[in-house]
Amino acid sequence: MSLWSFVGRLIAEPHSWLRAITRRNRLEAEMEIELANHLESLTVDLIRAGYSPAEAARRARIALGPTLVHKEGMRASLGLRWWDELGADLRYGIRMLRKSPGFTAIAATSLALAIGANTAIFSLAKSLLYDGLGVPHAEGLRLLRWIGDDHNAVHGMWGEFDPAPSGGLTGPIFSYPVYQQLRAHNEVMQDLLAFNEDSMNATVRGNAQRAVVAMVSGNYFAVLGTQSQLGRSIQPSDDHVGAVSAVAVISDGLWEREFGRSASALGQTINVNQSLFTIVGVAPRGFTGAKNVQSSPDVFVPLSMQPLIDPKGDKGGLLDDPDLWWLDVMGRVKPGISDAQAQAALNVALAAAVRGTMAVKAGDTIPSLELSDGSRGLNFASRVFKKRVYVLMTLTGFVLLLACANIANLLLARGAQRQREMSVRLALGAGRGRVLRQLLTESLLLAGIGGAGGLFLGYLGRNAIPKLMANVWDRDQLNVPMDWGVFAFATAVTLLTGLVFGLAPACLAARAEVSSSLKERAQTTTRRRKGLGGKALVGFQIALSTLLVVGAGLFLRTLFALNSINVGFRTDHLILFEVDPPAQRYGPGKDVQLHQRLEQGFAALPGVVGVAPSGTAYIADNMSNDDFVPEGETANSADAEPEDVNIVGNAFFQNMGIPIIGGRSFCPQDTVSSQKVAIINQSLAKKRFPKMNAVGKRFRTAGNADAWVLIVGVCADTHYANLRDTPPPQFFMPYVQQQEVGGMTYAIRTDLPPAELAPALRRVVQQADRDLPIIDVRTQREQIDANMQMERAFAALTSGFGALALALACVGIYGIMAYSVASRTNEIGIRLALGAQAGQVRGMILRESTWLAAAGIVVGVGASLMLTRLVKSMLYGIEPWDPATLAGGVLVLLVVALAASWIPARRAAGVQPMEALRHE
Amino acid sequence: MGNDKQKDLLQGTLDLLILKAVSLGPLHGYGVLLRIQQISGEELVIQQGSLYPALYRLEHQGAITSEWGESENNRRAKFYSLTAAGRDRLEAETDKWNRMAGIIGAILRTTEEGI
Repeated sequence: MSLWSFVGRLIAEPHSWLRAITRRNRLEAEMEIELANHLESLTVDLIRAGYSPAEAARRARIALGPTLVHKEGMRASLGLRWWDELGADLRYGIRMLRKSPGFTAIAATSLALAIGANTAIFSLAKSLLYDGLGVPHAEGLRLLRWIGDDHNAVHGMWGEFDPAPSGGLTGPIFSYPVYQQLRAHNEVMQDLLAFNEDSMNATVRGNAQRAVVAMVSGNYFAVLGTQSQLGRSIQPSDDHVGAVSAVAVISDGLWEREFGRSASALGQTINVNQSLFTIVGVAPRGFTGAKNVQSSPDVFVPLSMQPLIDPKGDKGGLLDDPDLWWLDVMGRVKPGISDAQAQAALNVALAAAVRGTMAVKAGDTIPSLELSDGSRGLNFASRVFKKRVYVLMTLTGFVLLLACANIANLLLARGAQRQREMSVRLALGAGRGRVLRQLLTESLLLAGIGGAGGLFLGYLGRNAIPKLMANVWDRDQLNVPMDWGVFAFATAVTLLTGLVFGLAPACLAARAEVSSSLKERAQTTTRRRKGLGGKALVGFQIALSTLLVVGAGLFLRTLFALNSINVGFRTDHLILFEVDPPAQRYGPGKDVQLHQRLEQGFAALPGVVGVAPSGTAYIADNMSNDDFVPEGETANSADAEPEDVNIVGNAFFQNMGIPIIGGRSFCPQDTVSSQKVAIINQSLAKKRFPKMNAVGKRFRTAGNADAWVLIVGVCADTHYANLRDTPPPQFFMPYVQQQEVGGMTYAIRTDLPPAELAPALRRVVQQADRDLPIIDVRTQREQIDANMQMERAFAALTSGFGALALALACVGIYGIMAYSVASRTNEIGIRLALGAQAGQVRGMILRESTWLAAAGIVVGVGASLMLTRLVKSMLYGIEPWDPATLAGGVLVLLVVALAASWIPARRAAGVQPMEALRHE
Repeated sequence: MGNDKQKDLLQGTLDLLILKAVSLGPLHGYGVLLRIQQISGEELVIQQGSLYPALYRLEHQGAITSEWGESENNRRAKFYSLTAAGRDRLEAETDKWNRMAGIIGAILRTTEEGI
């Protein structure tokens, strides 16, 4: 056959097939007419040849042969046969499933749960680890990153940086002058954009709120390739110091939240950190900006506005500061230039830019440049969640495997019951392939039902799992989209499971010997061999369950261990929130006065028992430190070790319930003009003043180098940034004695619920400054819970998986033992007839299941010991081989195994010998 | 297996005969049968039942196409005619058949002296 006619058939056949199945009724009618015509013409010809009409008709029918067979042949010619058989298989499969609703319900539900868990975790993983930025052609974006050794010339950093794998530091942040140099001498990238995202106070339509503001270079939207959905985007002409007017582009989310998607948003002004911006555009829906895949900044403003809205350090403006590195830089490589070439060229450019913009000290080294993948922005989520998501995916994979084993087991047991049916089919001439296909269709049908349910559960889980992982008070929940990728994954998993659990029983059935199984009785059909196959599956289930239960136990114990930590202060009835006065309006001193006014205002509210602001909120992953140089020690910067510090209100210790162990607490007499005082905690006293009374000693800090600070008291230790680390040494100073404090976290002790008190708190702040929002109102308990969010989510998910695993194992053990008892009724009857006691029979069955469980548990414990080591870093207070958890897991499994086999055992013991034998 | 091969050969031959019959002008199913019998001088007896699956197969493969029209006895009938692809195939298969027949004939004509 020539190539041409082959291609012709490739086009003709699918077309013909499609036409045949879409116009099936017409096709059948046409076939009927054609054959009838033939018969009629033949009959007429035969009559013409001299036969009587009756004889002619008879001869014609014989000559044509059976029309049913011909029609079948015609259908086969059109490739309709497998389609018809599939329909028949499906109809038969549905009938079989409906005949045993209990089996169908258990199988479909367990599959739906397993596939649902996998789908939900996969959509989470996809969003966190694999999805790209919401910009056109995100895969082409490259992120510039420097890698420096220990003598790196970069000292001032604001933003993200990490320890480099080779030692030293690496960061995706650059100074503005370096960015300008790189851009000016760029030969290899299409263009370079720069941005910095920061949390700021924004007042939109009179509503003061916290907003994530992206300060972006003028070419930001152009390089990303994004157009505004309304109005225009920020342009290079907007981004120069002294631009005619300050413009902003708002996100789709903010547009919807504050403007109800009204076009009138254009031209309105919003207040960002006390500067007015005119809205000129709305970023498209789904746009994420260049930093994060999961969320978008609320407002985009030109980079040139930084000195005005987000001043940092002494000078405020960073645009001419060569020492502070703070800008993320991204771009796309020019066509025809490889990443390696671009990186080499940019590396040279960076060295020149560093030497050209900053004074590099002798001994300092120039960092080298790396061009890394920018398709997921800074890829923060991936780095934080990678391991956790992998662990979750592994666990859900185990659950799925468990569900598969469960259904395979149920199908095997059913397959044994259907042995005769299969033998009859084979004896009547069905091909083995045909029988195999029938069984596979049934299992795929079951998988399909489970998959549909799983997709639905996955859709629900998609919303539930991000909630488990996010803070309760956060507005922007992690956005996990449900898309075709997830749908394809669920479908693939469904098909795979259908094949995995359907193949073994199908093969077994198709292998059946026709004559032997038709002749033999059900009881004698090689029970031992199939029993072993089923038992191996149940043992495998028990092993997997052990693994999951032990895992859940470890994460639960971690959560309990964290929960039972005494943080060192009273966590009940405390409401926390932040007030962050912008530096532009509240310079040094003014911010202190504002906080004093607010503190008094809050304290005067009805229902408020105590008020204490602090520079650092506890258990919030915040920390701040300062040099601590006791009198008598040299202030040599190499020796001066920084210690954790907290700048607090005078009522702090009383309000938080932190005991003062020696000396006194802060009091209203500690003012801006009085002796500078401090309180240190026990750990710091022990560390810096061993075997001495620290009260009365003096020290200096780097922040306040010329004034001695008097230690007036020693307080008990408290946890600081998180629960996991041991309480660190800390010292405390009154905020009223500081030159500037900036934003502070208020802790309000009250009996009122947060929702009730929040409006009054907001009013107090608005009276002081109507553009000042109160940020993240939450209770101290919620704050601590948030710190354990991951552990909580893990404990919840793994417990769910563990419970599911136990339930599945339970069904599996029950199924196999019930089957075993049913097929041994005869034997048990004989045993009882020969004088065995009911208790002995019960013991025999229970012993059998206990051995089975024990074997599975041993394997499971072995696997646990190997695998739990991998999650060591995620545990707290216990070792991965925690004996109590292992013992508990083993006990739970044994109890479940015994409970599941109790009913079959009782049934066995209740067998009536005469009936059992007559049954034969 | 020997049986299957024979069937394949016959089937292939039937396809070729149908293509040839239809190439001389559009025909309905019974007409195809008549024409083959007529051309062969009533020498070939075709299994009437296997004619229709073969017609459907050829149409499915795009070698022939069909159209509903009126038969000589004023009945609605399906008329088959050759497509361009079918014409190519007929030529190719005819060549193949002739070549094969030539070879087989030569072999069968061989006498002892000829070797």
